[in-house]
Amino acid sequence: MLSIPVEMKKISLSMMDEDAQCAALTLARMTILHPVEDTSNEQLLPEFPATPYFDVYQSLASRFTKISDLASEKFTQPDDLTQLVTLEQLQEMDGQLKVLWSLVSVVEEKKRQQHEKMQVTRQLVKSLQKFDALDLDLSRLTRTSRFLNIMVGTVPSANFSRLEKALSLAEFMIRSFYTGEGVQHVVMIGSSQQQTDVHELLKSADFRELVIPEELSGNPAQLRLDLNNQLEESKNEIIKLDKKLSDLLLDISPALQKTNELLILAKPYASLATVLKGHGGLVFMQGWVPADGEQEIKKQLHNNLQFPFHIQLTNPQNKELESVPSLLRHSWIFKPFQSLVSNFGIPNYAEVDPTVLFSFSYILMFGMMFGDIGHGAVIASGSLLLWKRFPSVTIIGVLAGLSSIGFGFVYGSLFGYEHIITPLWMSPMHDPVQVLLLALVWGAFFLLVSNLLAIRNYLVVGLTQQALYSGKGVAGLLFYLAALYSGYQLMANDHFGLFETLCLLIPMAVIMRYQWLQSRAGLFEKTLVVLIEMLEQVISSVSGTLSFLRVAAFSLNHIALAAAVFSIAAMMGPTGHWITILLGNIFIIVLEGAIVAIQCLRLEYYEGFSRFFSGKGKAFEPLKL
Amino acid sequence: MSGFTSAYLSTRLSIFSNRLIDFDFLTKLFDLDLEQILTHIATLTGHHYSLDSKDSSSIENQLANNAFNDFQLLIRPFSGRERRFFFYAIRWFELVNLKVLIRGKFSNTEIYIIRQQLIDLGDFAELPLKKLLDTEDTHEMLRLLETTAYAGIVRQARQVYEEHGNDLFLLDATIDRSFFIHLKQRLQALDNQDITQVSQVMGVLLDRFNLLWLLRYRFSYHLSPAKSYYLLTASGRTLHSANLMRLAKMDSVDEVLSALPESLQKKLSGLNTICEIETALEYSTLAIASKALSKTNLVSRFFAYIILREAETKFLQALIKGKQLKFDDELIRQAVVGFK
Repeated sequence: MLSIPVEMKKISLSMMDEDAQCAALTLARMTILHPVEDTSNEQLLPEFPATPYFDVYQSLASRFTKISDLASEKFTQPDDLTQLVTLEQLQEMDGQLKVLWSLVSVVEEKKRQQHEKMQVTRQLVKSLQKFDALDLDLSRLTRTSRFLNIMVGTVPSANFSRLEKALSLAEFMIRSFYTGEGVQHVVMIGSSQQQTDVHELLKSADFRELVIPEELSGNPAQLRLDLNNQLEESKNEIIKLDKKLSDLLLDISPALQKTNELLILAKPYASLATVLKGHGGLVFMQGWVPADGEQEIKKQLHNNLQFPFHIQLTNPQNKELESVPSLLRHSWIFKPFQSLVSNFGIPNYAEVDPTVLFSFSYILMFGMMFGDIGHGAVIASGSLLLWKRFPSVTIIGVLAGLSSIGFGFVYGSLFGYEHIITPLWMSPMHDPVQVLLLALVWGAFFLLVSNLLAIRNYLVVGLTQQALYSGKGVAGLLFYLAALYSGYQLMANDHFGLFETLCLLIPMAVIMRYQWLQSRAGLFEKTLVVLIEMLEQVISSVSGTLSFLRVAAFSLNHIALAAAVFSIAAMMGPTGHWITILLGNIFIIVLEGAIVAIQCLRLEYYEGFSRFFSGKGKAFEPLKL
Repeated sequence: MSGFTSAYLSTRLSIFSNRLIDFDFLTKLFDLDLEQILTHIATLTGHHYSLDSKDSSSIENQLANNAFNDFQLLIRPFSGRERRFFFYAIRWFELVNLKVLIRGKFSNTEIYIIRQQLIDLGDFAELPLKKLLDTEDTHEMLRLLETTAYAGIVRQARQVYEEHGNDLFLLDATIDRSFFIHLKQRLQALDNQDITQVSQVMGVLLDRFNLLWLLRYRFSYHLSPAKSYYLLTASGRTLHSANLMRLAKMDSVDEVLSALPESLQKKLSGLNTICEIETALEYSTLAIASKALSKTNLVSRFFAYIILREAETKFLQALIKGKQLKFDDELIRQAVVGFK
């Protein structure tokens, strides 16, 4: 039930520069090495031999991503995963892709320009529509005479007010005759002498003029047709450009496939750019590997490397424990729960991995809170339908559903009906107090286990004082046991004597003394900190235990909801009755099911994990292809 | 905001404000060596900085990151319109990255040089810096930028690029102008009381921008009055639209200075060059922001804090970088002349 992350060993590998890429590729194929930077020998090994390779790799990868994002094609892995990629190969391909991207980029820019042109033309068409009803010679509106300059066009609404004031400085007048989507359709009039100044200003204000060719003056319909033709031309141009782009992408597809293969094979060595250090043809790297892979690593390196090398695998030292990555290995059934644990945090290398414990307690609590044979069966079978798209959801859903079915038999509940099946124990509604008490016992057990795990985690990393005297250590455990015992005595026997008082005060005194010694503040602040910490200890013990009352509350709530559905159904006719029962059950499964799932998670995270699990570990991230 | 939250925020603001380094003290740091400067900063601000010999931008990023962490703490209690306003205000820092990118690409600067000048904004970052750095030319970068939250600003930058080529000063002005217009729009969405209080501080910022750029447009770039006025940003505290229109028509710096409203005229009397005017206005902005820190309105206090913290960060970045690169003390002093 309890496990710890996979045992790790530190690997130190020294080899000839010529073999570094082969070693990287070999280790990447094995997905066994979590590389780490070593800062201890910067003087001895000042070079980073993989950096030039990394730079070209980065440039090539970036160009490849940009182009392949436009291509819908899926690229395949190389057939031979042992092939080494030289720096020259990468550089050559990078050069090729640079040329290819410049071709693609030109087409993209032309497309952008066409889209912008279309947008402007559409606005001008709208402007023109406003003149349709007028019997007007349009050329008079856009004519520049000796003294007078008139212009019609559009300007972004955001710029209008400022432009109006600015134009007044140039003795120009502007009027808006129509407001479109984010643009004002305007007409301007002013002195021809100021034309140059105003022209510059209008460019800055993003003014788009409605240009009326001489031959179309006096004929708005013809002008609109002309603009529509321009729109059509732009659309055709975009289609042509799209076609050109897709032809281009088709032509370069083999080059992209080749690049994809090169990138896959080059990635491991490039990824080691900051890890590989060297001097005079010798390179060195460090990392963490699972201890059970030691022999295989040695064997593979012996088989693949050309020159002699030196490999050393050592157990992590105590001071290194925080930096060792955590590799969690679980069977397929626990994998989805591992993701939920990782949402909270990754266990430290020395910490207990709570995945299995979490899986059992989560499923158990879900069943306790949502015990119903019918609802459980719906959840389990519904989850099965998601198998292809969301396998993790299916596993959790099926297990939760089965747990729900199990507790459904215990409570004797089938789709909320309590008289069809004889309960193995009883329906929670028959004796709610007993159910609430059981929930408290479960909560106390849960918290005690959490406390024990916290003590174990402290001891493993050498924090003996904390394990013995802190609120989460042995003293905290004794305090909690004393609180449980005293509470029981008070409730059951109406007795709270000297023994109970001492049972509570002694661990409290130990915890407070420990806090006092740990605090580095002045006398007043120290006193305040110690008192508040102790108060927090008392409150969290009580509230943590009471928090588990929700396990009972939700099991009662489940029955109450079903009863509410039955009451409403009873008020309906035969058809309405069954529709209400159906909809009510769907409501219970979806809404209450989701709430119970979240509440279980909350109890695990806040009442369990926060007491023993730091979640500050580093995930094992192996070098891979 | 509840009374409890206001009390919390007010306390936080007081604590952070007390950690701001006094500007008179800042100028004394010029005479110290790098280690001494870092020790002083640690003592005064509680933030410890470490030098990275391999990465000269490391300290700049540490300074900016500490500022962002503090902003994040202060922004948390706000919600809705205030939150949106502050998130936008803090984008001011990202504009530095935007300008570095645009300038760098327009002038074909090497990518590693551009990268060194960029600041890591952590959670506040909107720009996809890596993708932008990977762009091969200006057009590709602008296309990518148009897909970000800065699309509006970038469209105007494109216009300047197409109209004026690589005029970097004009580009900076265009970006700043657009930022202030949008910031003022967000300010208008706040409660009336907040608008009045924040406007006191923001107005000075806008006046500074408008006056400086009016002088530059008219007398350095020789633009027409109409275009000069159009390129200014939203109206500020003293210089309203009508003032600016009147000033835009004037023919010399002296004429503009003598036609300024009295309060501004007093501050700028005896100054001749645009550089001197810039220094005086910057100092005046910081003085007004410092005063706003002691007022009761939380929105206005936080806004003032952002301005002061940005100025402090900029100062320390310039000072430390100058010392790291072993520049002459006088040169460093000139680089941060706004704080003289």
